[in-house]
Amino acid sequence: MSFALPDGCCYPWQMHRFSSSAFLLVLVVSPALGMAQQRPALADTSAQHLRLREVVVTATRTEKTLTEVPIPVTVVSRQQIQAMGAVRLTEVLGEQTGLNVGADHGRGVQMQGLNPEYTLILVDGEPLIGRTAGTLELSRVAVGNIERVEVVKGPASALWGSEALAGVVNIITQKPQPGTRGEVRLRYGANRTADVGGTFNYRHNQLGLTVFGNRYSSAGYTLQPASGQATVPPFTNYTGQSRLSYQLDDKTTLSVSGRYFIEDQASNLPITTEGGQVAQVGLKARQQDFSLNPSVTRCFSDKLFGTLRFYHAGYRTKEDYTYTADGTPYDASYFHQTFTRPEAQLDWRLHPKHTLTVGTGYLWESVEATRYDQRQQMRSAYGYLQDDWSPLTGLNLVAGVRYDGHSQYQGQLSPKLSGRYQLRPWLAVRASAGRGFRAPDFRQLYLNFSNPAVGYSVFGTHQVREKVAQLAAQGQLALDPATGQPLINAPLLEQASSLTAESSRAYNAGLQLDPTPKLRLTANFFHNDLRDLIETAAVAQKTNGQSVYSYRNVSRAYTQGLETDARYLLRAHLTLSAGYQYLVAKDRNVVTQLKNGSIYRRDPETLETTRLKVADYGGLFNRSRHMANVKLFYDNQATGWSGSVRGVYRGRYGFQDRNGNLILDTGNEYVAGYWLWNVSAAKAFRQRYTLQAGLDNVLNYTDPAYLSTVPGRLYYASLTVALGSK
Amino acid sequence: MNQLFSRFALLTLSGAVLTLSACSNDDNDDNEVKPAEALKTETASNLGPAPTSTTPPTAGQPGTPRHYAFYNLATKSEVPYTDSATTKWDIAVRTTTILVNGGSSGPGQGGAIVQDGLFSEITAAPATGYNVDSRTAYAIPTGSGKGWYNYNSTTHVVSPIAGKVILLRTAAGKYAKLEIVSYYKDAPASPTGTEPRGYYTFRYVYQPDGSTNLK
Repeated sequence: MSFALPDGCCYPWQMHRFSSSAFLLVLVVSPALGMAQQRPALADTSAQHLRLREVVVTATRTEKTLTEVPIPVTVVSRQQIQAMGAVRLTEVLGEQTGLNVGADHGRGVQMQGLNPEYTLILVDGEPLIGRTAGTLELSRVAVGNIERVEVVKGPASALWGSEALAGVVNIITQKPQPGTRGEVRLRYGANRTADVGGTFNYRHNQLGLTVFGNRYSSAGYTLQPASGQATVPPFTNYTGQSRLSYQLDDKTTLSVSGRYFIEDQASNLPITTEGGQVAQVGLKARQQDFSLNPSVTRCFSDKLFGTLRFYHAGYRTKEDYTYTADGTPYDASYFHQTFTRPEAQLDWRLHPKHTLTVGTGYLWESVEATRYDQRQQMRSAYGYLQDDWSPLTGLNLVAGVRYDGHSQYQGQLSPKLSGRYQLRPWLAVRASAGRGFRAPDFRQLYLNFSNPAVGYSVFGTHQVREKVAQLAAQGQLALDPATGQPLINAPLLEQASSLTAESSRAYNAGLQLDPTPKLRLTANFFHNDLRDLIETAAVAQKTNGQSVYSYRNVSRAYTQGLETDARYLLRAHLTLSAGYQYLVAKDRNVVTQLKNGSIYRRDPETLETTRLKVADYGGLFNRSRHMANVKLFYDNQATGWSGSVRGVYRGRYGFQDRNGNLILDTGNEYVAGYWLWNVSAAKAFRQRYTLQAGLDNVLNYTDPAYLSTVPGRLYYASLTVALGSK
Repeated sequence: MNQLFSRFALLTLSGAVLTLSACSNDDNDDNEVKPAEALKTETASNLGPAPTSTTPPTAGQPGTPRHYAFYNLATKSEVPYTDSATTKWDIAVRTTTILVNGGSSGPGQGGAIVQDGLFSEITAAPATGYNVDSRTAYAIPTGSGKGWYNYNSTTHVVSPIAGKVILLRTAAGKYAKLEIVSYYKDAPASPTGTEPRGYYTFRYVYQPDGSTNLK
């Protein structure tokens, strides 16, 4: 990776291919981003043309201009993040085309119809760790020091390994820029939500430093008061991030970056005891993540660039349940995870038309938790190779392959081939095919957890048989009223015991159209053919009415659809954009059963049973067939005014089966579609100050039973003060 | 013209059938050809034993009733539980358990097969292969997903599985097909799990002539 490039280094050779004006633009844009004082320079270009020459690093693990990459990549710039008034990553991603941020053990991102566990989340090219039931809580990420967010769609396991099956989200933080300056931002809004933070930047001669600090707190909100539980209980969190870089000589740069995050949350919940009484229990939860990431980059020659990186990250949670009445403990749990990885990469410009990228690394992971019987460890070694080849003018082919050897699983070989061809100056086509994989994680193997409040149990597949037998012997499993036998689903239990890695074959094909300098259209068709997908399965039922869950491979499923984006510069300072995704996601086993005519449903009114047709199948739950967004951004540097109106639509999606045939097929199994409209406006004055105010969810849409993430209308106001010299 | 012709053909055909049956003297012949009279689909509603009166008021749902509710398919009526040791009943229900009058449950020839398919498409009962109640297993298996119902552990709703048809041999050895459509009183369209439960609504076709024809 090449995040801290020394000035004047040899690295950006790939830009030689570009027109000289593009090259200049890149130089102008990249150091200037996000600096309030320098923004006029940027505005001059953006006022007349769409900014299309952004550089991305996630698609090929080398710097490459956004429009030149052969795979679909979305970039959200710092400017856009600021205009949105966003403070956490969830808000930023939730407004992007084709991404859906839902709540399932935290807020994660659904990409190309695939659940959050299939998207790799990176900060400056290194993974964020600490997933709960597969979901990485994206609100852990503050956006105040983000330079841009790169979203790569389609499998990227050929470069990034496990988890990069649906795609990759790479959060690129700010790098030290020449000069000394800082910024302080205060924001306050509904639900007593306060965000206080600041950045500091220093760079002089060889030494560079960035520091970011943020405190974020909220009183939370309650959508269903009758439940006696807050939907989001009050919380406070702190984020600290810093990067120190030192240029040893004109070819070598050392850099160290680190991150620390801590969040405390307190809530109350009613617990039904065995005697049928309801007792109030208080929960104090703390989660922390930290990472340290030293790296060295060196330009060996104008053809060879090397990176050596080391990454150590940890994630810790602690939950204490106590009875509110007398303070005696009810339950306690903890979770400690570590991730340690050295990695080396060489970028070698072998030939004017070939750039080779080769990398290797070794990974240690460990988990120790109340939910695991003992400390569990996994090790993995990997290597990857990529050739970026431009055989003809306008034609670019990227071929890559990665091998991951694993201590727990069979090795995974992930190839990928992608290409882009500039057919006409205003028309380019691109296509890619590749394999993605996601190895079963610790949880799916070794988890041993019983929820103290709700009462369900989840067991890893290595031990589920033994644990179910134990529960049965202890009389904790519900008995069938008639047979007196425990309610155990034998076929599911069998599937759980033979878990394998998940994989996909994916195809993407699309167009980029630039009919005028003011209009850009992109379209991408995607098809993900998934094998051995892991889902939770209720293998037995407990006496308390809850289930015992484990994991199994749902043998085959697919997601496919079309994603389109349009950006149009309406007039100077005013950009209109719109995005749409059409998605079909189906379990292939269900489709087969439907073709065989072996799935039925009963009309609840007439009580008539009918055989379902393939067309009656609504697909996998929690996927919207239609998602769309419309955004209007205004930014006038001269007057200091900027603002935005953004509408995000999520079409209806399946929530749960209600008619007993276990598939999505009737209207009452869906959650209604909805629009969320957000507006914001900002005014910069006296060069240093920016006032911003906004309303999220202007129409005050809520759906308390099904949408825990939508709290209704929220207002906020913020003040940003820029400090220091220009 | 076509219509006229087919009507005429139909008349001739039924005349021939009538003649044939008139010639036959053997009333016990199961394969006897009769005028094709479609069997009627009957619906039985709210079959279920009265709940025990000593229900604790806090439990939400009444306790398990002491007796089963018994039903005779031929007479389309409930049979008092005092006749449980006779062949007057064909099926009996209590909570999610269904008995057939045979084996360990009664003195009749009762047996059952749970088959996947559409009620209307099953036009003949198999002559053999019927399961009989025993001490260890019922002819109609109980358990969520195993026999005729799914139990949702979140909502606690018992839903009869659509597409499960029970082929029944009655106490007297006649054949019938049966489909359970609701487990709740008055067959609510969308049960929430709080309605009085254990009240079966089922549709059935009973063949009184002893043949396996269930058309």
